Amino acid sequence: MDFTIRAATLEDCKDISRMILELAEYEKASDQVKITQRDLEQDGFSKNPFFHGIIAEVPEHHKSREGHAKVGYSLYFYTYSSWKGRAVYMEDLYVMPEFRGKGIGKALMSKVSQLGLAAGCTQLNFTVLDWNKSSLDFYLKQGCWDVTSDLGYHCMRCEGDALEHLAQGDL
Amino acid sequence: MANFILRKAEPKDVSDILRLIKELAKFEEMEEQVVLTEKELLEDGFGDHPFYHCVVAEVPKDKQSIEGYTVVGFAMYYFTYDPWTGKLLYLEDFYVMKEFRGYGIGSEILKMLSETAVKARCSGMHFIVAEWNTSSIEFYKRRGASDLSHEEGWRLYEIDKRNLLKMTSK
Repeated sequence: MDFTIRAATLEDCKDISRMILELAEYEKASDQVKITQRDLEQDGFSKNPFFHGIIAEVPEHHKSREGHAKVGYSLYFYTYSSWKGRAVYMEDLYVMPEFRGKGIGKALMSKVSQLGLAAGCTQLNFTVLDWNKSSLDFYLKQGCWDVTSDLGYHCMRCEGDALEHLAQGDL
Repeated sequence: MANFILRKAEPKDVSDILRLIKELAKFEEMEEQVVLTEKELLEDGFGDHPFYHCVVAEVPKDKQSIEGYTVVGFAMYYFTYDPWTGKLLYLEDFYVMKEFRGYGIGSEILKMLSETAVKARCSGMHFIVAEWNTSSIEFYKRRGASDLSHEEGWRLYEIDKRNLLKMTSK
């Protein structure tokens, strides 16, 4: 199947928002999505973007059942390893179910890698849910390794009230 | 000794920052993994588009460390994005030299970072901790941190440069 991989633009935010919700549903967490199309426009396409996007698009005659031509995306941003320097973090990678198995996911990830390498990054990091076996297999096939398993690193989060209290110095 | 200041790191601090990065890596038994140089820290942190931000803790000259250092702690962070909740502050490194612990320096650094996060309208602060590092885990849990790997099953993955290159050529 024919498809193109390109940088996301402001006009893509509507479809990105749609697909973010689809991905959240797949991860059984759609009630946790608070970000709107407008937030994405502001946060990703202003002078200092907090993220960058890549879109996978198919030609008109291959549109999805509901009529969508934008069928996959990846959201990424640059981070920093105090050990190795510049790194790229792939926050989201998603392809609509009816377009899977055609190399689109691999192509999106390849694009993020290219951009990362061009920016001087030496690693690509991302997280996967431990029950997501098909994704885990896909990533392991690309040559990545599980930092949590191998080095025992756990992702921690401080948010909401806890973050506010921490800011005020309460203990 | 409770005399210390916290300030934004400046280009002149890169040598101390690298020293402290290596000390923390040594504590994590990963010292040989640090390949970052002072030159890269300078370029990446103090150019037009910094890849990271840094705060340092400094003591007066008369309170310097045994080897004569006055920069005794640091935190390295940057902003990331969660497509569900928005901006986040990611804490990459956070360390206070052993001889300066127990004086509230770590707490003050964390407080400053949280203020930065709240001011920048971040929905949270993320970081990783090694599961064997129980004293740090306790420090963070006391401040309301939750373990996402444990509670939600998130696992951190990495693809190194060699495999990145392989992917781009496929």
